[in-house]
Amino acid sequence: MKTYSRLHEKLTKGKFVVTGECGPPRGANKDVIDKKIRLLRGFVDAVNVTDNQTAIVRMSSIAASAHLVAAGLEPVMQMVVRDRNRIAIQSDIMGAYSLGIKNILCLSGDHQKFGSQPDAMNVFDIDSVNLIRTVKDMRDSGKDMSGFDLDVAPKMFIGAAANPFADPFEYRVIRLAKKIDAGADFIQTQCIYNMDRFKEWIRRANNEGLTDKVYILGGITPLKSAGMARYMNNKVAGMDVPESIIKRMDGVDKKSRADEGIKICLETIEELKETNGVHGVHIMAIEWEEVVGQIVEQAGLK
Amino acid sequence: MITASQKPINEIIELVEPYKKLLILGCGTCVKTCFAGGEDEVAVLASVLRLSFKKMARPIEIEELTIERQCENEFIQEASPGIARNDAILSLACGAGVQAMAKRFAKEVVLPGLNTTFIGIQESHGVFTEECSGCGDCSLATFGGICPVTRCAKKLLNGPCGGSQKGFCEIDPDTQCAWHLIIERLTTLKQQDNLKTYIPPKNWNTSLSGGPRKLIREDHII
Amino acid sequence: MKINNAPKLTLFHCLNSFEETNSMFDGCTIKTVKMACSSMTKDIHLLKAFESGADAVLVLVCQEKDCRYAEGSIRAKKRVDYVKTILDDIGMDGRRLNIFNTTAKDSGPIKDIIKTTISELETIGPNPALNHFN
Repeated sequence: MKTYSRLHEKLTKGKFVVTGECGPPRGANKDVIDKKIRLLRGFVDAVNVTDNQTAIVRMSSIAASAHLVAAGLEPVMQMVVRDRNRIAIQSDIMGAYSLGIKNILCLSGDHQKFGSQPDAMNVFDIDSVNLIRTVKDMRDSGKDMSGFDLDVAPKMFIGAAANPFADPFEYRVIRLAKKIDAGADFIQTQCIYNMDRFKEWIRRANNEGLTDKVYILGGITPLKSAGMARYMNNKVAGMDVPESIIKRMDGVDKKSRADEGIKICLETIEELKETNGVHGVHIMAIEWEEVVGQIVEQAGLK
Repeated sequence: MITASQKPINEIIELVEPYKKLLILGCGTCVKTCFAGGEDEVAVLASVLRLSFKKMARPIEIEELTIERQCENEFIQEASPGIARNDAILSLACGAGVQAMAKRFAKEVVLPGLNTTFIGIQESHGVFTEECSGCGDCSLATFGGICPVTRCAKKLLNGPCGGSQKGFCEIDPDTQCAWHLIIERLTTLKQQDNLKTYIPPKNWNTSLSGGPRKLIREDHII
Repeated sequence: MKINNAPKLTLFHCLNSFEETNSMFDGCTIKTVKMACSSMTKDIHLLKAFESGADAVLVLVCQEKDCRYAEGSIRAKKRVDYVKTILDDIGMDGRRLNIFNTTAKDSGPIKDIIKTTISELETIGPNPALNHFN
């Protein structure tokens, strides 16, 4: 079977994979990327590079991904449809592939309203499902969206996001199926804190046979403090941090809260390893990359 | 209906300041319904402008007139004598009305008194909501009569994003998630299969993306 | 600017909130406008009162829960608030327009309202759109 990237290859071999995350800097400083590369190297199978995450203007995900490629790490280039029309999207995918980028995560993108430049006009020419299909069509048919034969077609391992915690819950599995039909090879989920809800979602996905068609990586974000837990629950759209987790973070003294957050992560990873249909974890240690190595080692995933 | 709201009064004062004789011209159709440009609003604006010019000790003569529709030549005609008597027209019509006036009276100054907002409905008295973007290719039949192109902040055609919570949109807790409504309605209509249907990229050529549009009805042209 | 002459007040009221026979008050000239219901309080009428020279405009309406026509007082309050913002926007000072819930029997409180209005006008000043051409 042809594999499109090292991440793909590891998944086909049945490895429980780990992906990390690298948020590009708010500026042109490559040193920030180099520092994150040093922290993640050797611990993760691939690194997601965010695309103007939360609609805050940052170094482009293509450029930052190319820096990772040059350093020998495998990026998962995130791409949102918020900022590009289909012309720019296809062009950027070809460019990215020519730079050695082999994985893509197809996203709608956070609305610019809460970003650093809410006055901007958004694009949303195509939606994330159609972005997935566009990448797949280019890869499998060698044609662009107009049907034009590309001399070298980008052949990427295609990822999509799923949020089992957003509403309406009943629709979340239908949406997953739609993304798989469109061509998603792997799924990275929203951060999991509500394990019951996640398990119900994966159970339904298993029943529909979806987990046989796609690799699912569960989202993990270590909590640094009880305040962060509360903030994520109340302020971050589509995030579900149950009261029990918030209480647990509250229950330990201040200086041990980061350790407690890591402990919660390790327990979550342990459960995910045992969950049928889960093929790895995606650790998003937001501006806390130094903790990723520790989590991976203690979880026995190295 | 086309909805609009009046520009901030100080912006209007700045616009009309250079003129001594002003015709405030209302429009009696859409913008009247949304309390922005009918005869009541013309009267209030005229009174406010008179007060504020008196306060500034500056002379201004204001004439008030409201016609049925500023976007149709047939009605625009009625405004001709009033326009001839004044230095400028402050139009309380939507952007189409203002431009129709400017086209018809090529040598007159036509100023906009409103900000045109959207194609919408009056959801309840005094509350107007945007429902249609005039994309030129209606697919409401697929979506149970609720338009995701207009009412989803990300124009998603294949289901809700991950930010929809308890039926509301992530960008504004007062805005209902269009996809939540679509799912509810298709469920009521027993058309859940539509939810699974893949919707291909939209052809925006029929929308404003294809440039300003023109509608031609050959059978009505002589 | 000080008010040289007796201030001019325009008083809009619904049938149940004020008796016109009470309209003798010292220290000001009052013009009263009777409305069948407070819901007839319209922005244009309030503005026209200022155009006609009122230094202050008062709107007397029934208690919100006692309004004979259910929502009249609430509507009146909303419109008064709207005109107050317009007055503020054009530098006319929205404080010269006020609404009160009264009953026709209460001539005492109504007298107090008028007294307060007159004394407030000392700081707010006369209608700034007066004494000019137009």
